Formats: sequence, structure tokens, C-alpha cells
Amino acid sequence: MNSAPNGVWQKNPALAWREIDDETIIISPTESVMHELNDTGSFVWKRIDGRRTAADLAALLAENYDVTREVALADTTALLAELASRKLVVAAAEDAH
Amino acid sequence: MNFPPQTPGTPVMDRLIARTVRRNVPLSVHFDLTYRCNERCVHCYLDHEDHGELLTSECLEILEQLASSGALFLTLSGGEIFLRKDLEEILSCARRLHFDVSLKTNALLVTRARAERLERLAVRRVQISVYSSDPAVHDAVTKVPGSLVRTLAAIPLLLEQGISVKLACPLMKENLLAYRGVMALAEELGVPYVLDMTITPMMDGSRGPIEHRVSAEALLPVLQDAALPGCRPSAQKEEDLPAMLGSATSSGMESGAYDDLPCSAGHNSCYISPYGDVYACVQLPIPAGNLRHRRFDEIWHGSSTLKKVRAMRESELPICSRCEIRKYCERCPGLAWMEGGDLLGAYERACELAEHKARLAGVARPQSAWHAECRAHRTKNSGAKGRVYDSMEMTKQGQSV
Repeated sequence: MNSAPNGVWQKNPALAWREIDDETIIISPTESVMHELNDTGSFVWKRIDGRRTAADLAALLAENYDVTREVALADTTALLAELASRKLVVAAAEDAH
Repeated sequence: MNFPPQTPGTPVMDRLIARTVRRNVPLSVHFDLTYRCNERCVHCYLDHEDHGELLTSECLEILEQLASSGALFLTLSGGEIFLRKDLEEILSCARRLHFDVSLKTNALLVTRARAERLERLAVRRVQISVYSSDPAVHDAVTKVPGSLVRTLAAIPLLLEQGISVKLACPLMKENLLAYRGVMALAEELGVPYVLDMTITPMMDGSRGPIEHRVSAEALLPVLQDAALPGCRPSAQKEEDLPAMLGSATSSGMESGAYDDLPCSAGHNSCYISPYGDVYACVQLPIPAGNLRHRRFDEIWHGSSTLKKVRAMRESELPICSRCEIRKYCERCPGLAWMEGGDLLGAYERACELAEHKARLAGVARPQSAWHAECRAHRTKNSGAKGRVYDSMEMTKQGQSV
């Protein structure tokens, strides 16, 4: 299960997105739906690269924000699960084939 | 890290518009890659000769600059966009830079293979010009026999790929009564559409296309048509709207978030010509700078033209701000400049349409502030010949801002 700490994700390559004013707007072309990430969500989004695990992302979050590693990990895995449910990220292995 | 999904026109879009207006982020860019065209529409405002289009490498560099400036919504158009042989290379670049891409086209050159490639390049929406469901009427506008059949054949090819399609139908003398057919066609296809009553002078100011414009009186049946909501794009999901009066050239970012601003032009949207000229809007052809000579950011933040456009406030318009029927008016600063020679001024077409709309809404003897002023002026100078509007038109040519 990729929402686990060792799960690796990458952004859905079909998406349009832009970071504007510390927030990120994401648009999925198939549904024409707009998603908005706040500052911390944007921080994680920018670092989803198909190589970093959820734990790696959470560690980076904890290094840069006033949050414990435990809370950062819980929030990051929850965010990744939500992103995956909206098809905004795909498991890195899935996209390989 | 919550993030509710939203559709265009919802609070997320309004917040995004408010943020980008406040910081002058060019959220939406309309980029014409060519003015060449394989149709010769009678009302077209473009010169179809190639006067030195941007090279592929220049287009790609411009996209890089736009992305780093915060542009997200990218509309690629023409002329006929598919006449650019490097279109797919440009689209690939736009994909790599994560733009939300829409195309405007007559679709004559859309094939199944091309539609499949557009889907792979994540083109979200294609707006297609359709002037009538009657081939004789449509083809008389485009001057290309068989064009309607070819255009309509392309639509299912795009829809099959999951690409949104929107029909755009500018209304003019040649096709005014055809709009019901276009509405039926859109409903049959299950796609949204826009009926556009705006026919503009050519970008160089010449007024040939205006000959095809329908008089305000002749538009009354359209304005009164119960099948049309007769409204501006509003806070509603676009695809849900059964019909729309609006602008086929608009940025598509109409919102209450603009508050006292006339529109998005120059605030968070702009237009780029095939020659690299940057304008606040395609309907406001006052160049702010050229991308062959300056970077986009320098033009966007440094141009005195754009600063002048950004300084406009609806509440400070010298005449229109005190107009009693202002809420019925869809005054456009670009058309005010093109038709009246004054970015801040009133112009006849907007006043006429506003008066008709106000009358239809039950306002007794509606009169725009400008018309009231003109009439007062004529009374004061009784014996004066002709209409004030005519003299304003004569002074328009060559006027700069």
C-alpha cells in the first residue's frame, strides 16, 4: 500500500498545475475540476517526484515547519491518500509500465 | 492540508482571481500562434498575411517565461492554429510546463489521429467556431464550401478522446437567425456554446468587419429569446449552462472578484500576437511591448500601457460611472478604445444595447448617461447638425493612449 511511509508517488502527468502565492492550483483535464493546496500541501506537492517516499516527504516537512515528525508523517500520508483518491498522484511503480 | 475540489466559477476560482489580480499574476494568457487561416470569415478582424511569425524556439521560450510568471490557463489560437506545423511541439512544451491548455480552431484539419495526439498532450478543451447548422449559411460566412461538414465531423473525434468541446457562434447579419440551429446542434452534441454579439473592427482599426454587425434593434429577438439565459458567464459550472450570451474571445475568467475593475485584461490576463506583441487583451490592441526584444516579466510589470489599463476603475469612469442603466451594460474598455477612441469613454454600441436590455427589463425610457449628455448638448446647441456619435467615430483612427 503506497500510503504507507515507504510508498512512492509521482504526480499524474496529465495534470495542469501552478504554484501561485504559496498555494498550488491543480486542474485535472478529464474532469475540469480545480483543486487547491495550501502552503504546507504545496510544500509536499512540489517534492513529490517519483523517488521520495512518504516518510522522506514528511521528514522534509518536519525540517521546514514547526511540526513533529509523527504529525508530519500522519498528515503527509493522509494527503497522499487523498491525492491518490482524486487521481492527482499515481504510485511510481504503476506509471512505469 | 485540506483541499476541496472545485469547479471554475466557484470560491476557489474567485480566490485565485483575487490573489492574481492583487499581485498582477498573468493567470490566463491568450496566445495566437498564427494569423494565417484556411477560412476567410467575412467578419474576421485579422490580417491573414504572415508578417514574420514567432519561430518555434521563440514560442517555446515565451512559454517558459509565462510559466515562471505564474500563467496557468493557456489558450492557443489563431488564425487557424493547426496551420502551425510545430503545434504539437509547442503543445508538448506546454504540457511539460503544466499549463491548462485550450485551443480555438475551425477544426477543418482535425483528424482522428490528431485528436488522439491532442488527448495525449492533455489539451483540456477545444473551442470551435460554428456559424450555423445550415451549411449554406456557415459556408457563406467562412467562404469555404463544405466547411461546416468538415468542422462538424471533427467534433465527435475530439469528444471520443474525452476532450471538452465548446461551440462559439459570433452573431452577424449573415447568420443572426441561425443561432437557434447552433443551440440545437450543441444540445444534440451535449456540448456548451457561446453566442457572441461582438463584431469588432480589425486590429489595425479598419472597420470592414463592422459592415457585418447586426444593429442593436435587430438583436432584440435574440435578447428576448426565452431559451437564452441572456447573462454573463456567472458563478456556475460552465458545462452546466444550457446556453450563453457572452464573448468568444473572453479570458473565461469572469468573476465577482474583479469588483471595481472593468475585467481581467492587464490585471491577470493578457494576449500575445504571433509576432510577439503583448497586449492587455485581443480586443484592446494597444501593444505593451514585444517579446523579441524584452522578457515577458519586464513588459508585464513595466509597461506604461498596462499600468494605464490597470489604473482604470469602473467607479471613476467619467461618464459611465454615473449611468443609471449601468447594470445592463457590458461595456468593454477595448471596444471603448476601438470604437470611441477613449479607454475610459462610453461608446454607442454599449449604450444602445444597455438601453434595449433595460427596456426589456421593464425600465421606462432608459437612457445611458452618455446619450443623456449628448442630447443635452444638442439641445443647448440647437441647430447643430448630425449625431455626436458620428463625429466620435471619425476621430478614432490613429488615436493612441
